[in-house]
This record gives sequence, structure tokens and C-alpha cells, in this order.
Amino acid sequence: MTATWIAMLPHLAHQAAFGALAAAGFGVLFNFGWRTLAWCAVAGALALAVRTVVQQTGGSLEAATFAAAFVTSFTAILALRWLGPACNAVALAGCIPMVPGAFFGQAMLGYMAVAADTTGSSTAQIVAASQAFVRVLSIVGAIGAGLAIPAYLLKSRQF
Amino acid sequence: MTMIQPDPADLEPIHPYSLARISHVALQAGAVLAQSGASVRVVHEGARMVAEGLGVEVLGMRSGYASFEITLARGHHSFTRMIQIGPHGVNHRLDFAVRELLKRASRGDMTPDAIEAELKRLQSDTPRHPPWLVAIATGAACAAFGRLLGSDWLSFGPVLAAASIGQGVRHLLLGRRFNVFVVAAIVGCISAALGGLGARLIGSSTTELAMMASILLLVPGVPSTNAQTDVMDGYPTMGSARAVTVIMIMVFAVTGLWLAEFVLRIHT
Repeated sequence: MTATWIAMLPHLAHQAAFGALAAAGFGVLFNFGWRTLAWCAVAGALALAVRTVVQQTGGSLEAATFAAAFVTSFTAILALRWLGPACNAVALAGCIPMVPGAFFGQAMLGYMAVAADTTGSSTAQIVAASQAFVRVLSIVGAIGAGLAIPAYLLKSRQF
Repeated sequence: MTMIQPDPADLEPIHPYSLARISHVALQAGAVLAQSGASVRVVHEGARMVAEGLGVEVLGMRSGYASFEITLARGHHSFTRMIQIGPHGVNHRLDFAVRELLKRASRGDMTPDAIEAELKRLQSDTPRHPPWLVAIATGAACAAFGRLLGSDWLSFGPVLAAASIGQGVRHLLLGRRFNVFVVAAIVGCISAALGGLGARLIGSSTTELAMMASILLLVPGVPSTNAQTDVMDGYPTMGSARAVTVIMIMVFAVTGLWLAEFVLRIHT
């Protein structure tokens, strides 16, 4: 068991590091202040670490995404003392690297290819594109629910 | 756009501010919050804080994607006014600076003029990261996305450069008030083409992933989660409008990607 966890560490560190970079990068785009940007990076690392661990232990991508968003939101609200009302925004920035833009692209490109197909043999492509689209909906839903549930349960203040 | 109605409360000298004046300030505060990426609940709470701080009761508010409406009451008089909401964006520092202002306004020791002046000052003076830094940071985020999606190290540099250029182009075009969906298609095409071409020239084996990662700067992450929050908070109209906007932006971004694939002769 310990060996499995040790073997997982490089991949976990990789995912957390790039999750942090993606969250901080988008934090700059969203005009977060420098201090909050550091928290965004921490939130991104936490979200991707949790998602990776859940996936590595057999969870689906959707379940892992929900767990990651939930833990990130919960932790950010617990860190209210340091983050202030910005805790919800920091949690959201941390979850941005999990937004399934690539799946949406795959789905749309798949549908475009199906539309252009004249041979009538595009059943597999329709299924793949539809599957990608369903994954977009379920992952976005998982992020939204994971972020919102702790905020409602803990009555996180907005001002 | 505002609808001006006669305000009977103006005739009551005991009140220093008219309902029209208060509604205008409350709507302005709400509009700035909405344009900065706040959820409808925050927008309504902010406007309510201003109005109640100035001593009036809020009878109701309604937020659409492009307009915001408020009805105020004082005694037997009520007043309804609407304001237009400009382009939706995300500006965290402005959002939270306005929230701080509204907290002060809710204590009742600020005049409408002072609140309005402070709102204007915040809009012009709240610091923004310089465009070159935003471009590089966005490029780095997309390159990180590429790694998370499984693209190889060789494509990291091309994706970073392509997405940075794409963000620069987006900044220029949006600054010239081009349509946001058209901009998504143009930036999607430019970023994907540059990312794919760069990755191919450098010998990457994940050219398609590099193209996909290069357009991820266009994914509207905040509006997509705000859409759900708005629906959960009981504002399905605004939530639906945000969701449709997210889908439209992604459709146009992928159209740009598809064009780039056509130009580079890459078949998925």
C-alpha cells in the first residue's frame, strides 16, 4: 500500500504543480491581487491533488472532480480568517483547471465530423462525441455542486 | 437606459435624497458588480445595502443578463428604475473593492454623491495587471492545461507562446469592442494554428492536444459556475442566460479550432 502511494507521488506532484500554475495563470486574467494569487495557486494544487488521488484509487473523473471541488471549497471557507469573503472566489479559481474545455472541444469537433460524413458510417463517432458532451455536463455539474454545497452548508458570507 | 418617473418623495423636505437618486446609485453599484463577475445574489445584496444605508426599503429587484431593475419605497411612495449592464467580465479586485465600499455605504454615513464618486474612482483607479503579464500568465495556464491533458513537454513552449499571442489578440479586439463571439472564433483559430504549427515544427507527438490546450484561454470558467450558482440561488433566468453564453463562446472557439485544423491539414 505504501509502495503504491510512493509510486503515485511523482504523478501527484506533477498534477498539483500544473494545477497551481493553471489556477494562478487564470487568477492573473481575472485580476486577482498578488496575495490572493498565491492562494489561488494553493487552491489549484489542492484541487488537482485531490482529483488525482480519487482517480488513482478507482474513482471516476466525475466523482474525483466533485470530491476535488468539495474539498477545495470546504478548505477555502475554513481559511476564511486569512482569505476573508474572497474565499469563495479563491475556491472557484482553484477549480478552473478542472473545467472540461477539452471535452467540449472533442464533442464539438466530433459532431462537426459527423455532420460532414457522407458514408453513413459515423455511429462510433456520434457515440464518442455524445459521450464527451455528457462528460462536459457532468463535470461542470460536479464542479458547481462541489463548490456550492460547502458554501451553503457553512453559510459562507459573500460580503 | 433609465426610465424616469416623477418622484413624489422629492416633495418631502424631511428626506435629503430622492428615491430616484438612491435608486440610481444602488443600480450603478449593482451593475459594476455584475460586470465584474459577481453572482446575482451578490449584486442584489450590494444594491440592497446601498439602498438601506440611505434609508429606504427595497421592494424588489430583477436582474437580466443586460439590465438590472430595482423598486424602492419610502412611506407610501415607491419608485422603479432600470439600468443597462455592460459587457460581463471578471475583475476580482474591482469586485471586492466595490463590496468594501458597499459595506461602508450600508452603515449610512455616505451620501449618494460620495458613493457614486467612490464607484467612479474605483472603476478608474483599481489596479489591473499589465496586458503583457496577463498574456504570459494566460499562456502559462494553457501550457499547464496541456500538461494536465497529457501533452508532451515539447509542446509546452509552443502552447505557452500561442496562447499568450491569442490573449494579446483578444485584449486588442475586445478593447475595440468587437463582438465577443467573433473574437472567440478569431482567437481560437489563431491560437490553435500557432500552437499546432509550433508543436509540429518542434517535433511534438501531441500536436492535436497542443492545439486544444492553446484555445483553453477562451473557456468561460467563472460564468459557467456562476450560471449554476444563480440557478441554485433562485435566479434561473440569469443562470440560463449565462449558460447559453458559455455554450456560444465555446462553439465559436471550437469553430476557430476547426478552421485551424483545416488550415494545418490535421484530421481528428
